[in-house]
Amino acid sequence: MAEVEETLKRIQAHKGVIGTIVVNAEGIPIRTTLDSSTTVQYAGLLHQLTMKARSTVRDIDPQNDLTFLRIRSKKHEIMVAPDKEYLLIVIQNPSE
Amino acid sequence: MFMDESLDVVGLQTSWKKTHPQAHDSKICQTNQVHTAEVETQAKFFSENGTQTDPHECLADPFLLDRDLSSDLPGLKDFLCRVEDMVIEELVKNAKSHAFDGFEVNWADQNQTVLCLYCLGYPDARKKGLQVTSVSWNCTGSVIACAFGRVDDGDWSTESSCVCTWNLDRRNLNPNQPDMVMDVATPVMCVSFHPKRPSLIAGGLYNGDLIIWDTSRTQDPVLAQTGMSPDAHREPVYEVKWVPVAHRGHLIVLSACSGGRVLLWSLDGVEGKLTLNSAYALVSQQLPQTTAFSKLQTKGGINIGVTSLTLSPWDPDTFLVGSEGGLVLKCTFSSQTVAAVPSDGESVTLHAPAQFSFSPRGGPIHSLHFSPFHRNLFVSVGTDGLAHIHSILQPRPLLALRVSDSYVFGVRWSPVRPLVFAAVTGQGLVQVFDLGHKSLRPVATIDQKTGGQPAYCLEFSPQQLLAVGSADGTVNIWQLSAELTEQGPRETAILEQLANEVAE
Repeated sequence: MAEVEETLKRIQAHKGVIGTIVVNAEGIPIRTTLDSSTTVQYAGLLHQLTMKARSTVRDIDPQNDLTFLRIRSKKHEIMVAPDKEYLLIVIQNPSE
Repeated sequence: MFMDESLDVVGLQTSWKKTHPQAHDSKICQTNQVHTAEVETQAKFFSENGTQTDPHECLADPFLLDRDLSSDLPGLKDFLCRVEDMVIEELVKNAKSHAFDGFEVNWADQNQTVLCLYCLGYPDARKKGLQVTSVSWNCTGSVIACAFGRVDDGDWSTESSCVCTWNLDRRNLNPNQPDMVMDVATPVMCVSFHPKRPSLIAGGLYNGDLIIWDTSRTQDPVLAQTGMSPDAHREPVYEVKWVPVAHRGHLIVLSACSGGRVLLWSLDGVEGKLTLNSAYALVSQQLPQTTAFSKLQTKGGINIGVTSLTLSPWDPDTFLVGSEGGLVLKCTFSSQTVAAVPSDGESVTLHAPAQFSFSPRGGPIHSLHFSPFHRNLFVSVGTDGLAHIHSILQPRPLLALRVSDSYVFGVRWSPVRPLVFAAVTGQGLVQVFDLGHKSLRPVATIDQKTGGQPAYCLEFSPQQLLAVGSADGTVNIWQLSAELTEQGPRETAILEQLANEVAE
């Protein structure tokens, strides 16, 4: 669909963005701008990590829920926007 | 009764034919004069653009938009609408934020000093006064192989020597007792472990022989040998390297000798045979004319002796050759020009591989190494004590660093830090340089305490240990400090910038 593409293109066009991945509820990537092996790796690992982060937040306070997850590493920053059915992963190199 | 008679001719005027006087009229016409004019124009600014459709294979990418996403994935559009603004806001904030500037985390204990972990030696070799000519780590980084031989002997040497291996991960490692000792009839000039198979070692000998050992065989580790065939080298083999491309299931070994020959052998592991695949000969007449070396045009072709060689990790077709006369040449495996040397009975035709010549140095080039982080950069060292950093696109070096006042025998880029390289000198020192620092002086100097004896070779292991082989027959294993083994954030960008400088 054109709107889906448009949105992803807008996100990808931001300064320093290396890649964008959309993952479904089972952890299977459905849209990506990176190559397949990297995508599969990111999707699998970040899906598990997001689930763990969400359960951590809810264990501390059952009324609370995870809205956004950011992982900052030496080389980039990984941002995960979670949802009931999908996951949006954006990898950015902030120091560029 | 019948008599001849001639009668007059009777003529009749025609009644219907008349002579028509033809009416003549002459007229001339000419077109008007054609007006011509000449004008010239030229485009001052051009721009080029090209488009091409993707090749068919790319369209089979499972993540592509051939499917109608909205019907397969309900809610995707809504999900993206919900998160888009939040994500974009975070991306913009991140790009401008200075929150993490200078913030560094220590995950491991930082060791600030350089430690000598082991000092390995083989007493028998030391008794014979043999020197370590070459070291090589295997692909897992646990075994180190050392070749013993002589570098300072000018004469044809027939003393027997050996190749020793130590496994550093074994608990009861005895530095004076190698795990395996392989005896050889002549000094060994170079060794190289196979990059994928941890038990194969290739060694080049002083008499031109090339031997492949398989350390997993208990009976006789010698797997294959070239022997004294017309295909083999006649001069000392200075460099031997495994070529990572598998050719029909066989492994390929490259060997280069000081007789100007670079040979590619194909190893048949099952039968234990080395067959010559292709051969290249370097002659002075066939050198590319990019430098002032063209003044030296002699009638007979002088063989360019090869003292060092490096394969490009980025382009499987390119390799660099350093010669005894100080030349650094860029060569290609797929050269079609036939070499101008008389055939010596080899089974394949010799080709001339040299394509490009870099600015010559004043002495033999002892070591060359391609950068593992940038496809165009390499470093070269020789007897003039300088380390030159070149880009393969230009003949003049980008940087010249003074390593020492004596000869420099080996140089290697660090496998983890794009801007760091280490060089060993004739005084036994290891100088480590960091190109990220503004000054051109070494960032660390390791004194091996070998009493001023030269160090001939060095290799980085996959676990960031540094092995240095010296003339007194010992190999020191050094562990470098944390700042030399951990990559900083902007190193690749600085390296890219360095590579793009144009040398004046």
